[in-house]
Amino acid sequence: MTTTRLAPSTAATAPARRKRPNRAVSARHATRWWVPWAFAAPGMILFIVVVGYPLLRSLQISFYQWAVLPTDASTFVGFDNYTRALGDAEFWTSMANAGIYLILTVPLTLILGLFFAVLLNAKMPARTVFRVLFYIPVVTSWVVVSLLFKFLFVTDGGAVNWAITDLLPLTSEPVPWLEQRGTGLVAVAALGIWKSLGWCLVVFLAALGGVGEEQYEAASLDGANAWQQFLNVTLPGIRGTFLFVLVLQVIGAFNVFASVLLMTNGGPAGSTEVPLTYMYKQAFSFLDFGYASAMSFILAIIIVVISILQFKFFREKN
Amino acid sequence: MKKSLPAVAGVVTVLITLSACGTGGVDGSGSKEPVPTLSAGEKVSGDITFWHAYSAGGTEVKTLEKTVIPNFEKLHPGTTVKAVQVPSDQMHQKLVTGVASGSLPDVIRADIVTVPELAKLGVLTPLSEAMPDFDTYAKKMYPGPLSTNKYKGKYWGLPLDTNTKVVVYNKEALSAAGITSVPRTLDELKAAAPKMGGGKYVFAEGGSGGWNLLPFIWSNGGEMTDPEVTKATGYLNGPKSVAALQMLIDMYNAKQLPQAILGASGGVGPTDGVAKGTYASMIDGPWAFPNLKTSFPNFAPQTSPVFSGEGGSISVVGGEDIVMTQGSQNKALAAEFIRYMLSDEAQLAMAETGQLSAQSTLESKVSAMEPFYQAYLEQLKTAKARPATPQWAKIDDIFTKDAQQAFQGKMTAQQAMDDAAAKIDPLLAQG
Repeated sequence: MTTTRLAPSTAATAPARRKRPNRAVSARHATRWWVPWAFAAPGMILFIVVVGYPLLRSLQISFYQWAVLPTDASTFVGFDNYTRALGDAEFWTSMANAGIYLILTVPLTLILGLFFAVLLNAKMPARTVFRVLFYIPVVTSWVVVSLLFKFLFVTDGGAVNWAITDLLPLTSEPVPWLEQRGTGLVAVAALGIWKSLGWCLVVFLAALGGVGEEQYEAASLDGANAWQQFLNVTLPGIRGTFLFVLVLQVIGAFNVFASVLLMTNGGPAGSTEVPLTYMYKQAFSFLDFGYASAMSFILAIIIVVISILQFKFFREKN
Repeated sequence: MKKSLPAVAGVVTVLITLSACGTGGVDGSGSKEPVPTLSAGEKVSGDITFWHAYSAGGTEVKTLEKTVIPNFEKLHPGTTVKAVQVPSDQMHQKLVTGVASGSLPDVIRADIVTVPELAKLGVLTPLSEAMPDFDTYAKKMYPGPLSTNKYKGKYWGLPLDTNTKVVVYNKEALSAAGITSVPRTLDELKAAAPKMGGGKYVFAEGGSGGWNLLPFIWSNGGEMTDPEVTKATGYLNGPKSVAALQMLIDMYNAKQLPQAILGASGGVGPTDGVAKGTYASMIDGPWAFPNLKTSFPNFAPQTSPVFSGEGGSISVVGGEDIVMTQGSQNKALAAEFIRYMLSDEAQLAMAETGQLSAQSTLESKVSAMEPFYQAYLEQLKTAKARPATPQWAKIDDIFTKDAQQAFQGKMTAQQAMDDAAAKIDPLLAQG
């Protein structure tokens, strides 16, 4: 939350401060090539051990009918696990659900996040209190809030149904939220939006602080109203940040897991399964690690392609 | 994008190196070790580790750690049993990772449906071959729980504790609807259902897996597989199995069964519903009683046998078996510990905490402990176990999803069970 205030000042003073020590360092240590590596080593070793190796190992597993017992032989099956996934209707249902979840969560999170960021960027009383309140969901435990949302969406006696049947009588029958596909995904998406809104808001706030005050002054001198200023000054000013948030939110939508597992557990009849819950069940319930690994790589490829497309789309407009 | 080429080349190189390393051992030697003979009364020493999922909340873990294990260690000086409690919903995952990393303990209290799976993986010692006194234990057990240990003609464990489900009902909810006595048969259940209404139900079921629906199928005279567990076609999609499912579907369509049967979360759970009178009855295990006593101290639950049909009143067996791993370094002590856990002393101590003994010889002593135990012990005499097969998790998933499709009207009951049987047969053929 302090980033907004820090961002402009560090940007202005940092280059000036860095200049001299920088030259001195490079002159003194020019021959010690390993120094930067030594500084990077702890992080890199951690990355290789907990991300790099498991990633490569699971790529290897994805080509095998994997035996859980290390002393048993695993059978090499080539691309069988991949072709099986491509023909698996339940896998595609889970992908479609991730797509629906994405469409339900990402636009709303971005729009609401930006909306509240613009509001909280203005000078107002108790601004910090609001910023903290918006950020609280981000730091709560997924497990706790998933269970909480499950209680909110309970069919008989849940707060949401109470609100729509008794408080504002929109319907006479309680909606079986978690007991069918569409409404189940809506409930899970509601949690997703609530939980990631604060993060988007904070990142946008930081970016808004970086848009120069003089640009707004120039725009108002040209006679631009608030909305025109938002469109022509604010939005272009935070384009980079917007892309960053968008890409991460899309990746996050494909990786939704704990909320689905706890709120619907993929049910009823597997209709709210998402890729990660489906993979998890293949691996840890059915011991089909090869198949689960293959699906995880198909998902990764899809995410990479979508991310590249997002970058392309936003660059061309520049 | 051009910059990433060297990175791709690097990944490919590492991959080739990795695959050259192979995939671990290739001889599958784990399951071919000779089975040792572990006679009773041998001098034992050293230590063993015991994994269990006794619930930490109540008195189970306390009794195990403060009474049962200290008593065993007193009987066998110089031995240590290290008990590790694993939350029950994490036990399967913990076992899987234990198998993969070779870090299983010596003795496991395993859910009855995971014993064939572990046996097939080759990580268990067959007790029927390793323990010369196996038969003296086996013949004391109820047949249902004992059958859960059998895979490929050998017994890989022994029933440590057992449970089953009976009808638990709310007498006031029934009489409020003008139903004078609890339905005892499937027909009476069907007849009583329309008398409820107004958001109330005569019966609630919390899922559509084998654990939930098999009591209806069995009681109606149906089956899931043949007795040898080799095929489902002709059994699961046979007329009596389908009719049992159809009856529940009809009730569901007539809004006489709450949504909970779809396995969907969100509705009122059976236990809460029965206590509050929203539901008049449910089929549940002995754990319902301590839960009800804590949450609803004024509610007096009643019991009745599972709704009977042409097949009788057949409930489903739950509970845990005790097994010894192949990799145990102290099998003599492990065997002695298993014997103690099955002794009258340990069984009665654990029965006090709610763990029913699977030994028919202890029936009168156990049923005297709590008034509601009697109903469960009676039901256990005819209760059946879910098919003992290493493929159970997958089979149950297929059955559950097809049954749910039928409840949702996407298939008829017959189509759903035809589909399930056709998918289950090849799994059973794998053994």
